[in-house]
Amino acid sequence: MSIPESLKSVENDQAAVLRVFHRFSLGQRWEHTIIIISTLALFLTGLPQKYRTATWSQHLLSTPERLNFIQQVHHIFAVLLTLEVAYHLFKGLYLLSRRRLSSAIFPDWQDISDAWQMLRYLLFLTKEKPRFRKYNFEQKITYWFLFFGIGIMVISGFIIWFPIAVTSFLPGGIIPAAKLAHSTEAIVAAIFVLIWHIYHVHLERLNLSIFTGWLNERDMREYHALEYERLTGENAESQSTGGSQ
Amino acid sequence: MASTRHRCYFFLGIACVILFLALLSVTATVQASSARQDATPTATPSQPEGEPDPRLSLSDEYCLGCHGQPGQTYELQNGELLDLYVPAEDHNNSVHGEMGYACVQCHRTVGEYPHEAFTAVDLRDASLRLYQACRFCHQTQYDQAQDSVHSTAFANGIREAAICTDCHSAHAVRRLNDPNTKERLPDTGIWAAQTCAKCHSAIYEVYRESVHGSALIGEGNQDVPTCIDCHGVHNIEDPTTAQFRLSSPQLCAKCHTDPRVMTKYGLSTEVLNTYVADFHGTTVVLFEKETPDAETNKPVCYDCHGIHNIKHVDDPEKGLQVRENILARCQVCHPDATANFPDAWLSHYIPSPEKTPAVYYINLFYQFLIPTVLGGFAILVGLDFGRSTLNRFRERRQKRPASETHETAEQQPAPAEDNSTPNNEAGNE
Repeated sequence: MSIPESLKSVENDQAAVLRVFHRFSLGQRWEHTIIIISTLALFLTGLPQKYRTATWSQHLLSTPERLNFIQQVHHIFAVLLTLEVAYHLFKGLYLLSRRRLSSAIFPDWQDISDAWQMLRYLLFLTKEKPRFRKYNFEQKITYWFLFFGIGIMVISGFIIWFPIAVTSFLPGGIIPAAKLAHSTEAIVAAIFVLIWHIYHVHLERLNLSIFTGWLNERDMREYHALEYERLTGENAESQSTGGSQ
Repeated sequence: MASTRHRCYFFLGIACVILFLALLSVTATVQASSARQDATPTATPSQPEGEPDPRLSLSDEYCLGCHGQPGQTYELQNGELLDLYVPAEDHNNSVHGEMGYACVQCHRTVGEYPHEAFTAVDLRDASLRLYQACRFCHQTQYDQAQDSVHSTAFANGIREAAICTDCHSAHAVRRLNDPNTKERLPDTGIWAAQTCAKCHSAIYEVYRESVHGSALIGEGNQDVPTCIDCHGVHNIEDPTTAQFRLSSPQLCAKCHTDPRVMTKYGLSTEVLNTYVADFHGTTVVLFEKETPDAETNKPVCYDCHGIHNIKHVDDPEKGLQVRENILARCQVCHPDATANFPDAWLSHYIPSPEKTPAVYYINLFYQFLIPTVLGGFAILVGLDFGRSTLNRFRERRQKRPASETHETAEQQPAPAEDNSTPNNEAGNE
């Protein structure tokens, strides 16, 4: 596995050989990129439609042509995101049918106790930081919050895109309900990404593994100690002092 | 010597002041008398100072001496006969007669008999020439009418397009407002509708059957709009333009958001807000503000409720509370709409658990979710940030003595306390 220049330089004059751990496949990295592009475009084209009474929005949507254009763009990226969601689900189902679907992302009781211990740690009730597996509870929250968030967005989006088809078999009241859900969930998801996801991957530490595909050993030991131990058979903590230098 | 000269100047000054005051009073009387002359020209013979146009000093009796007799006509160029008979009571009972205006105040150039020649191609031409007299006093209204749909029609060659006298008549001009309060008189609304009906009779027939028209004409209800309330009085706007269409919700809202009027009839004043909150209204209001002349297919009030044929919402034929009626209305724009579709529109209701439970509970859900869950996440992130910052700070403090002695590379802080420390001594192997 190649080591990028940036990491080498971090360790400056020491002859550093830093292990990196494979974390995301090329397909997963592309999925993430498509989600970023499409949700960003959807957010930017959806926001003026949501806040139509705001002056800045009214300048953007000032004519029927402009409104139409921005809705077209929104629909194009909606289709892109829908295709991505469909791919994601079908891939999951396919892997499940082959009994190859990893259980790593599914929440379990361990995550609850991890979260509880983390809370105690953050409140200075313990000095023990929980030791995490491949995906810690924070990352699982990110995945599942956005999984259902995007699910709500896609379903409600199609309901308000095709109201006549939908009301041919569902009650009409679902249209304004979907409109409200679509409009509000978008803001919830945006706030969530901003405060939770952006904090954990940029501010807490810069974690670019979803783009590069790998995670360095240092982060692996600190944030995914159990996974580190599972992969290497070494003790994540002892390495900190016992490493050969 | 000096004192005499002073006295001299003093008297001269007094004389000047007196002279000035005298002049002032003379002009004042002249103005007053000429004003009185305008108001009641029949009253007195003309004052010698003013020397008014002798044509303006003719009395009504003088005119009626001839024109008070029926059967007199004047042949116009195309052979049409202009009726010269003016019944005295027409003028006397009119708002002008009531206020003492004289024939010659409008017919200023006619003068004594034999009159100077009057030429007009036909009867319409005669009216078009004569109604210019309205401008002597009512220039504002005349100017407003120049901006109206009638003037546009006239400019496009429709000579029948209404001019002042078509609505107000030439001689039997009706008093429409209370002279003291300037408020409209009770009968004015009905009169206006019937006046418009002289040309727009088909619309009048429809209007008379509507919820507004039947209340006005049947009951003399003063709350309902007559033609001019929506279309304007003199500057009547073309109601077929995109601009009129986009601004029309505000027109309806003028009364329908006024609680003083609406509470009497148990009507909601939230109709505009709820319209604006939904798909159609949001877009219409947006375009109205940004591009008032934009063509849009989004419905405005009258697309669903009707224009002149507006009915009670529970009217079995047209009322929108009747399911088949509203569905038929939806299908005009959404031809494939099915029976469930009308519920997609909240019918001007504010979401409530009874009327629109789905919307109500989703709203409630997010009102709970946003502060609790997102708030919870925000607190966790805040705590995390606090604790890791504190850790980094402690690390640095602990490291400082070590780095002072060793001066080696260990610059980077190792986060966390004892466990899971990724000390950065180049990860071995």
